Amino acid sequence: MLQQLCETIDGFTEVVGRATAWLLPVMMALMFLVVVLRYLFNTGSIALQESVMYLHAILFMTASAFTLKHDGHVRVDIFYRTLSPRGRAVINLLGTLFLLLPVCLFTGWFCFGYVAKSWALMEASPESGGLPLVYLLKSLMLVLVVTMTLQGIAELARNLMILVGRYPTLVAKEGASLG
Amino acid sequence: MVELIPLFMFGAVCLVLLFGYPVAYSLAGTALLFAGIGIVTDTFASAFLHALPSRIYGILTNQTLMAVPLFVLMGTLLEKSKVAENLLNSMALLFGRLRGGLGISVTLVGMLLAASTGIVGATVVTMGLLSLPTMLKRGYSPSLATGSICATGTLGQIIPPSIALVLLGDVLSSAYQQAQINMGLFSPETVSVGDLFVGALIPGLLLVLCYVVYICLVAWLKPTSAPALTANDLEVESERRVSFIGSLVPPLLLILAVLGSILAGIATPTEAAGVGAMGALLLALSQKQLSKEKLREVVISTTQITCMVFLILIGAALFSLVFRGFGGDDLVHGVFEDMPGGVWGATLIVMLVIFFLGFILDFIEITFVVVPIVAPVLLTLGLDPVWLGIMIAINLQTSFLTPPFGFSLFYLRGVAPESVKTVEIYKGVTPFILIQLCMLFVLALWPGLITWLPGLLSR
Amino acid sequence: DSDQTYRWSLLTSWPKNFPGLGVAPENFAKMVDDMSGGRLKIRVFGAGEVVPGFEVFDAISNGTAEMGHSGSYYWKGKLPAAQFFAAIPFGMTASETNGWLQYGGGMALWEELYRPHGVVPLAAGSTGTQMGGWFNKEINSIEDLEGLKMRIPGLGGEVLSRAGGVPVSLPGGEIFTALQTGAIDAVEWVGPYNDRAFGLNTAAQYYYYPGWHEPGSMFEFIVNEEAFQTLPEDLQAIVRQAAKTASYDMLVEYDARNIEALNQLQESGVELRRFPEDLLQKLQGYADEVVQELAEQDPMATRIYESYRAYQQGAAAYNHVAEQAYIETRGQ
Ligand code: NA
Ligand code: NA
Repeated sequence: MLQQLCETIDGFTEVVGRATAWLLPVMMALMFLVVVLRYLFNTGSIALQESVMYLHAILFMTASAFTLKHDGHVRVDIFYRTLSPRGRAVINLLGTLFLLLPVCLFTGWFCFGYVAKSWALMEASPESGGLPLVYLLKSLMLVLVVTMTLQGIAELARNLMILVGRYPTLVAKEGASLG
Repeated sequence: MVELIPLFMFGAVCLVLLFGYPVAYSLAGTALLFAGIGIVTDTFASAFLHALPSRIYGILTNQTLMAVPLFVLMGTLLEKSKVAENLLNSMALLFGRLRGGLGISVTLVGMLLAASTGIVGATVVTMGLLSLPTMLKRGYSPSLATGSICATGTLGQIIPPSIALVLLGDVLSSAYQQAQINMGLFSPETVSVGDLFVGALIPGLLLVLCYVVYICLVAWLKPTSAPALTANDLEVESERRVSFIGSLVPPLLLILAVLGSILAGIATPTEAAGVGAMGALLLALSQKQLSKEKLREVVISTTQITCMVFLILIGAALFSLVFRGFGGDDLVHGVFEDMPGGVWGATLIVMLVIFFLGFILDFIEITFVVVPIVAPVLLTLGLDPVWLGIMIAINLQTSFLTPPFGFSLFYLRGVAPESVKTVEIYKGVTPFILIQLCMLFVLALWPGLITWLPGLLSR
Repeated sequence: DSDQTYRWSLLTSWPKNFPGLGVAPENFAKMVDDMSGGRLKIRVFGAGEVVPGFEVFDAISNGTAEMGHSGSYYWKGKLPAAQFFAAIPFGMTASETNGWLQYGGGMALWEELYRPHGVVPLAAGSTGTQMGGWFNKEINSIEDLEGLKMRIPGLGGEVLSRAGGVPVSLPGGEIFTALQTGAIDAVEWVGPYNDRAFGLNTAAQYYYYPGWHEPGSMFEFIVNEEAFQTLPEDLQAIVRQAAKTASYDMLVEYDARNIEALNQLQESGVELRRFPEDLLQKLQGYADEVVQELAEQDPMATRIYESYRAYQQGAAAYNHVAEQAYIETRGQ
């Protein structure tokens, strides 16, 4: 059961993360376009400038859960790296339970009203000629919270399985040391 | 007791960080825990927590930070397409059998990159991606490699044009006016961002020089930690003169183009990161080093590094919000209220407090919390605003490098291979910290090193 | 209970100690403290200390802090009509705007606009007529605006873009560098007092006037309505009166300081230039279009526009025979 939960969420996070990553070259191209248009053609658009910002925001708000799945969020690992896989699983279990999930729930709680207000006004850009989609931009906060909470649950499941010695890949890889 | 809670918070977060759970959640989670206790015991202004969405939105819409993913993309592209490795090898070849040649090359490339952006996350990460693999491959000790990369990457903060100096310049300029109006001068002198840029030039170049000298020294005293090219390497490499020029010139031109596009007014520093990434992509394609599979690796790895940097920023935002809610700024204020020992005592205390805050709070936070409080006081005591600004910038730069916690250390750890131990990074940065501290001391003794050039140019 | 002490936070959209704009809320807080005998203590926070400068409205509306000091044109994305209470290209000057707000029905409309958000507005001072901006290109005719890259936010930017110019959005930290390196051709900031402090004279050659796009920018104190209602009546009156005094004080401070600052700028070699008359006329044509479109966005905007427009026409006719006639006669 745990394993199925873990695999389902992992799969979802993986698909979302890989898709989001391709926004990066688009963002780069648009930024380059802004420079070319302004310098060579003396023209430009606030909407174009803002769309680079939107892509940038989507990138890290949507793919952070993917980064969590790949253990890409940096740690101060002076002690952590000396721990056994079980020791690490304990840290990750406790961290997910007492740090990650509370932060997600809290952030979601406080951001929900903020985002809802923006939707109620269909909030537009504060700049003339900007994108009228600020409510979508703000909604990224909820995207971060939801994807991160889901992946947090997956991590919880994964580390529980490691602790009871039933996480498949780990058993395969380090089965000897776990016995 | 209650007013000391921010201090406990600082201690607690250091402890939690040491357990090794990701930095971003450790910062945010610990802050939240304290906020919870504060609300229950009624010692915390909980209304401040409503500011969290506004803070996150501020990070989402901060145009300056768009340089991070683009700069990192440039670094990853150059690394994965082997352009960076070829460049550094060729540069090292220039130094021939001089030991430490590769280290010097890395420092010089780092200086150029540092000039192009002032965002610490962007430069440290990019430098780490570009040069760490090559240095390790060439047999450099992990300590020397990571130490020099970390130090050079953090230089971006003071080598102009630097966003950090611009922010500092803004706050200092207001503080300077305030100080003079307090002294009864109603047509005050001004200090501009340009003055700070010019003032940072000599100290920045001196630091680069010191790094280079240090690397030479290590290479000479401990040849195994910074090996020169072997005779065999030299032969093989010099047989390929054409490829030598070919691997040296294009990437150097690219890095110069990034800097040049800023200086020539083609792009702003943020946009220059986009120009650099585009250039790196074209370079990698032209050298036929980029398959679709490799490009996929590049975008995925860049995305993950970007997320790592921004989640730390979001975590730090929540931490500093709660820090304030408990009156952390009052505590800082209190420290400065009864400053002893005249202008030098006061400056020393300010520098120490900024140094310790720099372990956890980022540049923007410190610029907005501490500088507006202390700068008018110090400037009224007669300090030169440009000198004060550069001293604060170098001090923070040192703080970001200082173990066990500092943004540069977090970011480099984030991109260093698993085989490099964190302790080795800590060991590696120590000599560079000492160099920076010496530099601060020298600049305090001879303030002219900072103030001479701006004075000359304004005449 | 009359001896209870109230503690408020006031969030601003400016860096701490920012000349003029940043000083007004500090003065206000000090005044309230003195007038209330210490019963209402207000602590002032600079932009970014609690929330970023452009998030102040949300923060006051949701109760993060009790009070804010900002400019209503920053809320354009939420309430387009709010711009009428800050700056309108070719709109009213500071004293005209004050007249409209206090005696021409403006204030009631402003309160009505903010009420659904639980926010009470109070006028909070003006910079007076701003300057046209810093240019590294000479502007001799409307053609010179074609392709001109300028940092000019808001309605002014929209007008520039209709005249063929390119308004560029830049983070605050990059404005100076962009002007210095030539990435952009021009920057509008505030007026001599703030522009000199920012050092813009070291990045550009020409200083153009008048500031047609911000002829008398009005700023605002905003108060969380619930927090305001919990104050006893005398403290409410103190807040209102202190705001009025701070508002008056900010305008006259700018008036006085700009004189000295402009002298110093000219001594430092800045070339002071006037926009050509026909260019201003053409810009006014575009501005009328832009403001008209703003007025058509929603019924509230239409009402505010009509009130604003009517007062401006009356004020213009009267000024023509009063202040304007006199200043032209006086010469110097
Ligand atoms: Na820089
Ligand atoms: Na302005």
